[in-house]
Amino acid sequence: MPPLGVTSPSCIYACTRFRVRRTTLLPREEYLRIMRMSIPGVIGYLSRQEEYREDILDLAHDFSGAQLIEEAVNRNLAQSFRHAMATAPGDLHTLTGEYLNRWDIANVMAILRGTVHDIPRRQIRDLLVPAGELDGTLLDRLLNFTNCGEAIEALQGWRLYPVLAEYYRICGETGVFARIENELYRQYYTDLLGLAATGCSGCQELIGYLRFEIDITNMRNLLRLHCAEEACDIATIDRTMIPGGRIPVDLFRRLYGIETEGEFVSAFLSTDIVPVLAQAVRELRQDPDFSSTDAAELVWQRWHRRRRPVHEVEMAVTRVRLHQLEALSRRHPFSVLPVLAYLERKKYEVANLRAIARGKAFGLLPERIWQYIVL
Amino acid sequence: MPVDDIKPTRAGLLIVRRRQALAERVHRLLSMKLDGMMLELVKLTEQAALNRRELEEKFAGAREMVAVAAMMEGATGVLLAALSVEAYPSYATGNRNTFGVRLPDLEPVMVRKTLDQRGYGILGTSSVIDDAADAYEELLEAIIATAELEGGVKHLLDDIEKTRRRVNALELKIIPELTEIRRFIEDQRDEMERQEWTRLRRIKKIKAKRVGDR
Repeated sequence: MPPLGVTSPSCIYACTRFRVRRTTLLPREEYLRIMRMSIPGVIGYLSRQEEYREDILDLAHDFSGAQLIEEAVNRNLAQSFRHAMATAPGDLHTLTGEYLNRWDIANVMAILRGTVHDIPRRQIRDLLVPAGELDGTLLDRLLNFTNCGEAIEALQGWRLYPVLAEYYRICGETGVFARIENELYRQYYTDLLGLAATGCSGCQELIGYLRFEIDITNMRNLLRLHCAEEACDIATIDRTMIPGGRIPVDLFRRLYGIETEGEFVSAFLSTDIVPVLAQAVRELRQDPDFSSTDAAELVWQRWHRRRRPVHEVEMAVTRVRLHQLEALSRRHPFSVLPVLAYLERKKYEVANLRAIARGKAFGLLPERIWQYIVL
Repeated sequence: MPVDDIKPTRAGLLIVRRRQALAERVHRLLSMKLDGMMLELVKLTEQAALNRRELEEKFAGAREMVAVAAMMEGATGVLLAALSVEAYPSYATGNRNTFGVRLPDLEPVMVRKTLDQRGYGILGTSSVIDDAADAYEELLEAIIATAELEGGVKHLLDDIEKTRRRVNALELKIIPELTEIRRFIEDQRDEMERQEWTRLRRIKKIKAKRVGDR
């Protein structure tokens, strides 16, 4: 690592490349155009785009309609992320690899579940998005194993192998996969925060961003647990909450037991989620008077009625977070932030195209689909 | 004893009378059963129509929810969550007795699940997957309830048809035939009684003449 305050030329080069690559992503006007197209029109449009042409043409034999669009954009996402990892030098590479580890978790869990439940390998292969460190060859090798013990042993070189090794003996028991998956994600965030704490350029901001992501995820999951029919115990909350956020897990435990409006609103107002939530709802509803207290009361209404978060509000919060990340990446142009800003933007470009394709395939109104677009 | 073998005697008349009384009692009972089954059918049909409408609404809701899930998580994400299912939903079969008809009684088993029972990890999924799972669990419950009701309606209709045939057979064939036979036997017996009376009268006349001749 270069001395503090000095940015290496390779880092400047890589960050500049990511900033340039960020400009090649689809702008708002293009989404407006795509929204007016039918599914064959969208396929035609993507096959004319340099970025997606190859993926569409390669997969056109095997898939059609919305499925073709989803498979093509997923493949493109995997290629773009692997390319991003290859481009990022030194610490950036390590951080990018760690950040993309969540795709590996999804792939490994799909393979383990498929192996234990004896699901056809081809079906599992179609669900894999090799956008993390585990490449397609290793994933194909994992698919050939007949029991999950062999698959876990083959993953010895993976960053999160120690978590898998703990569950080696009880692999396949009822409910164990959900526990493994939760543990893997908890370890993922712990490792990512640990790596970001090493003091790279932009890491402080990255930690802030990640801690907020953890808070949002914890709050969303607490709402999910609360709206379940039977009450869960403290151990379940502890197993589900990710440590390391700005809001301590104790507060979530306390929130779970609150059933009065005043207590809930005052506890919720003390969290850092409220300002972002209020801003998101202001933008979503075009209502400049929507205050933090209104936001807390909105969450209370869902909490009180044991309802889950509103999806449109979740998407609006994602939009606000993405804008904040981009603002940070502009403030720290030669750090890990431009890389993450690109990765997140690319992820949501693919999610947007997928949402349009799926929304159109299900015959949803364009106004409804537009609420799920992250720009 | 078949109807044709009944002789126009007092014993035959008693048999016919007994059979007619039995047929009339069975007819009355079956008519009452038919009325009861018709009332039950009307009730079940109304409920089945209501359930069918609810089922259609739930199907539309579940489709919309899975569309939103596919939009937010992709079909890949939805399928990955679906692959996590460890306990498959099913139903237990039983019967309940209504007017002697065995109507199906279906009980959902492992249809409504808790977050733990669904098999997917909370941290790897979003709330839209829970919503889609909830919507499909509700849909499955509605399908089972509708199948139970519609199966009941079909069984009841089959039994109504059978009972109606029996009632019609009693009303239009068996009871009229027995009435006819009874009338025939009574006529025959009246005729025989008249013949006997005439014969006795004649014998009496012949005897009286013989006594006069002496």
